[in-house]
Amino acid sequence: MPTLIVDGRTVQAREGAFLLEAARQAGVAIPTLCEHPAVEPYGGCRLCVVDITRASWDGWQKMVVSCLYPVEDGLVVSTRTPRVVETRRVVLDLLLARCPETPLIQGLAREHGIEKTTFAPNEGKTDCILCALCTRICDVIGASAIAAVDRGIGREIAPPFREPPDRCIGCLACAEVCPTGHIKYETSDRRRVIWDKEFEMLRCPNCGRAHITKLQAAHFEKKSGVPASYYEPCDACKRATVVASANALKIPRPGQTPRQNPGQV
Amino acid sequence: MDRIYRVVVERCIACGKCELACAFAHGSQGRPSRTRINIARQGPEAGVPVVCLQCDDAGCVQVCPTKALVRNEATGAIDVVRERCVLCRMCIAGCPFGNMLWDDTYHLVQKCDLCGGDPKCVPFCPTKALDYVPADTAGLRPEPAGTGR
Amino acid sequence: MSAETRVESKAAFEAWRDRLRTERGGRKAEVLVCCGTGCLANGARDVAEAIDGAMRARGLDASVGFFEKHTGCHGFCERGPLVLLRPSGVLYTRVKPRDAKAIVEETVEKGQIVQKLLYRNPETKKPVEKYDEIPFYANQTRVAMRRIGQIDPTDLGDAVAAGAYAGMVRALLEMKPEAVIAEVEASGLRGRGGAGFATARKWKSCRQAKGERKFILCNGDEGDPGAFKDRSIMEGDPHSVVEGMVIGAYAVGAHEGYVYVRDEYPLAVVNLTLALEQARKAGLLGKNILGTGFDFDIRISRGGGAFVCGESSALMRSLEGKVGEPRAKYVHATDRGLFDLPTVLNNVETWSDVGAILEHGGAWFAGMGTAKSKGTKAFSLVGKVKNTGLIELPMGTTMRHIVYGIGGGIKDDRPFKAVQTGGPSGGCVPASMLDVPVDYEKLTEAGSMMGSGGMIVMDDRTCMVDVARYFLKFLVEESCGKCTPCREGLKQMLAMYEDLCAGRGREGDLARIERLAAAMQLGSLCDLGRSAPNPVLSTLKHFRDEYVAHIRDKDCPAGICRDLVIYDIVAERCEGCRVCIKACPTGAITGELKQAHVLDQSKCISCGSCFDVCPTDAVVWSKKTANAGGKEAA
Repeated sequence: MPTLIVDGRTVQAREGAFLLEAARQAGVAIPTLCEHPAVEPYGGCRLCVVDITRASWDGWQKMVVSCLYPVEDGLVVSTRTPRVVETRRVVLDLLLARCPETPLIQGLAREHGIEKTTFAPNEGKTDCILCALCTRICDVIGASAIAAVDRGIGREIAPPFREPPDRCIGCLACAEVCPTGHIKYETSDRRRVIWDKEFEMLRCPNCGRAHITKLQAAHFEKKSGVPASYYEPCDACKRATVVASANALKIPRPGQTPRQNPGQV
Repeated sequence: MDRIYRVVVERCIACGKCELACAFAHGSQGRPSRTRINIARQGPEAGVPVVCLQCDDAGCVQVCPTKALVRNEATGAIDVVRERCVLCRMCIAGCPFGNMLWDDTYHLVQKCDLCGGDPKCVPFCPTKALDYVPADTAGLRPEPAGTGR
Repeated sequence: MSAETRVESKAAFEAWRDRLRTERGGRKAEVLVCCGTGCLANGARDVAEAIDGAMRARGLDASVGFFEKHTGCHGFCERGPLVLLRPSGVLYTRVKPRDAKAIVEETVEKGQIVQKLLYRNPETKKPVEKYDEIPFYANQTRVAMRRIGQIDPTDLGDAVAAGAYAGMVRALLEMKPEAVIAEVEASGLRGRGGAGFATARKWKSCRQAKGERKFILCNGDEGDPGAFKDRSIMEGDPHSVVEGMVIGAYAVGAHEGYVYVRDEYPLAVVNLTLALEQARKAGLLGKNILGTGFDFDIRISRGGGAFVCGESSALMRSLEGKVGEPRAKYVHATDRGLFDLPTVLNNVETWSDVGAILEHGGAWFAGMGTAKSKGTKAFSLVGKVKNTGLIELPMGTTMRHIVYGIGGGIKDDRPFKAVQTGGPSGGCVPASMLDVPVDYEKLTEAGSMMGSGGMIVMDDRTCMVDVARYFLKFLVEESCGKCTPCREGLKQMLAMYEDLCAGRGREGDLARIERLAAAMQLGSLCDLGRSAPNPVLSTLKHFRDEYVAHIRDKDCPAGICRDLVIYDIVAERCEGCRVCIKACPTGAITGELKQAHVLDQSKCISCGSCFDVCPTDAVVWSKKTANAGGKEAA
């Protein structure tokens, strides 16, 4: 088990872990934006930067992102050197210029001592910080309906050709995982709308309630072989079925005649 | 896991205390959450508790795309790993018994996770219809009336 | 030797090569027309057709020992189209199609020189007949470009006769892979793509990496504006690249290779494709190379049109068919590169050097250059220099020698200001550092970097703030956009520079620029972002007073920033030649021949074209807010 030092605390890290995990193990908090346990690390926001060094490096330090740098035996990690703190502040300052009205960024920036951006605020104000969590979770779901398109400052998250995405199954994972609430959707028992695409909901044949779309059921049918119709009944009606099965056993209550078949639970 | 959650249906008098206990145990800031145990009222003092059976080969675990539903070896329950859950709600559709629930109050999926090994409903049940018993006794046929065995 | 016969031994190779040399040695004359992309743009195709026609008209064809060939880029692009004659070695410059008749009838047939086509030495004013007596060529040491301009790149026989594959034959038939690596190590070869990483060390890492399947890659993306050395090598001597890659593959144990050529180099793709086919047929590539049982083949992959794809991990993603974005993970390509397998990626020039090193030995290469930067380096010398073109020199040559000795000095003899090296990742070398010996370390110490060898010479009519802005504008559009510091940082940095150049600079701007630059250097995901602040920091270091003038005085000392200067004509000095009227893009100048011209300020965009062309210094510029009769330019 690799042993390393994070902010002076010794940590025995899991083999194959990244510095971020080791830091958390040591009780050291490092800010992140594009990190999420359900997806692989991305290294895009650059907020989780730390300085690393080794005894043999003679004081020379290297700045790396802790979400992607693997733990190594003998590594010495400093999560709050002046240049690390300053780099984080500049990153947040830049994000605040991009998203001046986004509460998450305003809050994070304030925590780092920035009330207003020192840069020119974005004219087309957006809530999207391009953390790409949405596209990454969409890949995990298996739909891969959206991606980061275009290069440089024109980069944005969009479906192919910026049209309602063919492959979207309406699972809402992208919207749920988005840290700033940038992705909007509507949902009801009847229909769901996200990325300008309308979805038919998979409604309970009994009561009409719905939680997932027909495409979600079809997607899982393809993956598992379980027919989509299996997913139709809503949770309440499924519970009613369970109750009906229990009742069919004709379990006598206290004060009633004993069971006809002892031994049967 | 050394204990197992046991439901003795015929003892249930549909008092609803377990539902209240569960909702308040998982709520916060005074707001009750969605209860993870649901009592089907069958008549005066007759109810059927419906709660997660912590299935061996669970349907919910199978459909989860991010492996956010995970067996807790200590308690025996299937836990929701909150950090990995992305609220796609496939599990709600995937549970054959309707024991995965959507909590509108907190915008989350919820299920019974035996409260991490100390189920809050158990002490409130007046008839011991709900109990958390040593696993080796779970196979014994319980008495219909609540004698505590 | 026919292309169908495979070479399967050293003896067979040498016999083949001797036959090729004898046959070429017996030729009466060869007329080599430069058909590199630069000369093609200057009409070389028509020149070649005209010469071909003229030779046929005189019955001068192969049967009687007369050959006409199209070669790759000679490098003297300023003087193209170029025609070289052999065996005499006479070089004709700025050849037009109508000169073909004279060249063929006088020089080819009778050996008489056509004087007006000769290069004229600007210092001695005397014409120079021979190619290797022209200072531009005489002062070069061509290793990577050793055959370019001398051979037809589509003729394997030409290449072999001129030495191609000799190094590969030695490596594969006489050396073990470890010995090959040792030879490269002895040469001190460092990556010629810009990073300058020790090539032998890279090969060793890959050789030691676990796994059977490995890759050899050639980075032909060459994205730096102004750089074209790799293009010239791929177009003009593609076999040098193939040879190097086979040697590298043999050394590390790889069997698959790719040349990633940027999409904007179609001729390079054509010539490389041809070279690969020819090499395969001759048994120099593909299965059982030279009969050794070693298999290695190369495929070409065309780029998607993005500067960032020149970055090694982005290039590999692009090759895999994914979006060309650099990899954020901390892995070495030699462990996990293309398809997550051990990979060696080297630059075109590096591969070309490898063949020469195996042919002449590592010690030979290490005998040139400086202590830490061995061998030679190709430079594309462009900008305000008299002899623009492609040159190759030993490492350690001073900037002064490059700009003045080979470049011939500044165009129009204006004062020297700086040389920008290393493209958008590099920095500027000011006049005070002209005697800096050019090598990896010294350039980095000077606050610049070698980069791929682009050298943009600048005179006093260059605003260094504007130069930094130019590179920022380039990078803003080329950034992949994945990481915050580069994507947002470049945008904000450019915005600050647009403000500076428009007279909107404020107190504290320089501190803001330096703060952002530091964060970009430390926090960016890849070297594009990390090195993006280099032109900014370098110009700030050496030309801080220009920045201060822009901010404090709203003044552009070089007279370039259009929002800060106004131009005007001094009537007394105007001789009415109308040259400025022709140069003006907006028609702001009016006037008759021999009458003093008048500049209409309402139409003037302050581009300075009139100033640049006026032969009598009648055009002056001044700071915008000053009254008439303000500062005059030098």
